Amino acid sequence: MIQAHILGRSRPDDVAQRSDLRFARLKAALPQQGVVGYVGDAGESGVAPYYLAQYALAPLVLDRSPNHPFVVGNFSSSTAATAFENLRVLKDFGDGVLLFAGEDQP
Amino acid sequence: MLVALLTLLGAANGLLLVLLLWPHESASSANWLLQGCLSLGFGLGLFSVVFMLSRASAGQHLLAIDLAAFALLLAGYLYKNKRGYPAVTVSHSSGEADPHWLVLVLRAAFAIALLAALYSAILRAITHPHGDGWDAFAIWNLHARFLFRGGEHWRDGFTPLIPWSHPDYPLLLPAVISHFWTALGRENQLVPTMVGLVFTFSTVGILFSSLAHLRGQTSATLAGLVLLATPFFIEQGTAQYADVPLSFFILATIVLTCLCEKSSAVGPHRGLLVLAGISCGFGAWTKNEGLLFLLAIFAAWLLIFVIAPSRSIDSNTPSQHEENARPASISFVLILAGVAPFLLLIAWFKHSIGAPNELFAAIAFHKLLDASRYLVILKWYGKDFLRFGDWSLIPGTLLLAGIYFASPNKHMRPTNFASRACHIALAMTLAGYFLIYLITPYDLYWHLRFSLNRLFLQLWPAVIFLFFLENPAFDSSVPGEKPVSR
Repeated sequence: MIQAHILGRSRPDDVAQRSDLRFARLKAALPQQGVVGYVGDAGESGVAPYYLAQYALAPLVLDRSPNHPFVVGNFSSSTAATAFENLRVLKDFGDGVLLFAGEDQP
Repeated sequence: MLVALLTLLGAANGLLLVLLLWPHESASSANWLLQGCLSLGFGLGLFSVVFMLSRASAGQHLLAIDLAAFALLLAGYLYKNKRGYPAVTVSHSSGEADPHWLVLVLRAAFAIALLAALYSAILRAITHPHGDGWDAFAIWNLHARFLFRGGEHWRDGFTPLIPWSHPDYPLLLPAVISHFWTALGRENQLVPTMVGLVFTFSTVGILFSSLAHLRGQTSATLAGLVLLATPFFIEQGTAQYADVPLSFFILATIVLTCLCEKSSAVGPHRGLLVLAGISCGFGAWTKNEGLLFLLAIFAAWLLIFVIAPSRSIDSNTPSQHEENARPASISFVLILAGVAPFLLLIAWFKHSIGAPNELFAAIAFHKLLDASRYLVILKWYGKDFLRFGDWSLIPGTLLLAGIYFASPNKHMRPTNFASRACHIALAMTLAGYFLIYLITPYDLYWHLRFSLNRLFLQLWPAVIFLFFLENPAFDSSVPGEKPVSR
């Protein structure tokens, strides 16, 4: 009864949990280890999403740079992703999550 | 089921470590509670060390190493019992002189506070399964994921490529979590939640049982109430940060040091000092602030016992100075023996990952000459003194200060060498925090805003312990003094 009361009163509403779900499909498409690039919203609003993406995609290391063969895109909207000229979209996973290929990279 | 078995194994390892170094003495319920609470934290600490040894040696048989550690500790404990050390007399608190109704009221209040704290902590844990706040997922749980998911590439996660993840932070908490996950074969957010709850309520348990052992039920209950009525302590305990685990080890170090001084025998009680050293080492393996506390306790110990024993409490004659200095030097070595393995572990870790501490990467000594920084920090120390606990009505710090000034006999009694050393160590740690703020490369206001309350919280349980240990208002055994009923 106590457990039911507690569960009824408190609904898990965890930002990290939601982020894990958001990046689950992208994670399956990426290598298991190593370093990939990362691009996202500019400014302060892009800081927390970077760490949530890093948390979800560990043990991959996300380098906040587009200069990598694979680059993770994490945007508040998919339209913001068009700003990167040297990146080619490999797959759009929806909800602002994209996988790019760095075109200048070997 | 496996989580429960692993928890039992960890607690058993912790208990054996505690019993191995604990003096033989008559059992009391407070003593059992104290040993039990210490065992839980030490068991988790041992799990983290075992896990890192397994990672360092690329070992695949984590459970086998756990069982080997258990067998080793059990053998040591059985050997100790076989040798049969003489019993040590530890001075317990005198019989309670408080009126029966007061004891009942205090116990009822404590029980209600404990239940309310448990309820609040469980609610928070369910609502925030990945922790509550930036550091939980950007530092501690991220490191746990790298240790677990990275396998032999675990070092990848401790790279400067991930700014603000503090790759130089010690690994007790991430390694404990990763130990459980590795044994389970999968990630389970119940693990960091349970680890947080264990450290939170074991800290309350240590505070209560140590004071019940040394000063009696009234002091213990009041001290427990003060800690349980600190909302920030319960919030942080379930936030999956490392500050409450560090507060556990700081308190344990101070309790064990003070308890050692209460032992009357010369030989076997010294195991308590080794335990104090181990606890201090676990603290340094939990957070960098634990390293600062370690330095502070050694500096205080040197100051009180070795460099200036003549100014110590019980030294009235030159011969007494010599008598005090010799065992003090031995005690110093015993604490060092407890700490040394952790210093090696921390040195290996820091060397292994090679990431510099961001605070000391570029020290700006000119900031030490900026008087305005001193004023700002002092102002924040003053403000957070009253508000760090998130108290809604009366700040706990103000309450303790009020009790002190209302006491008929205001003279706090550092009853022995150890408690005086602990006072100095806490003061030095606070001064160390002050110095770090002076030279911080970050924006000073930002740094103070997001860290000072947690730094104060790290020391809070130890401050409550020393307050109730030494305030004569709560001493039922002082002739002619009636215990204060509050």
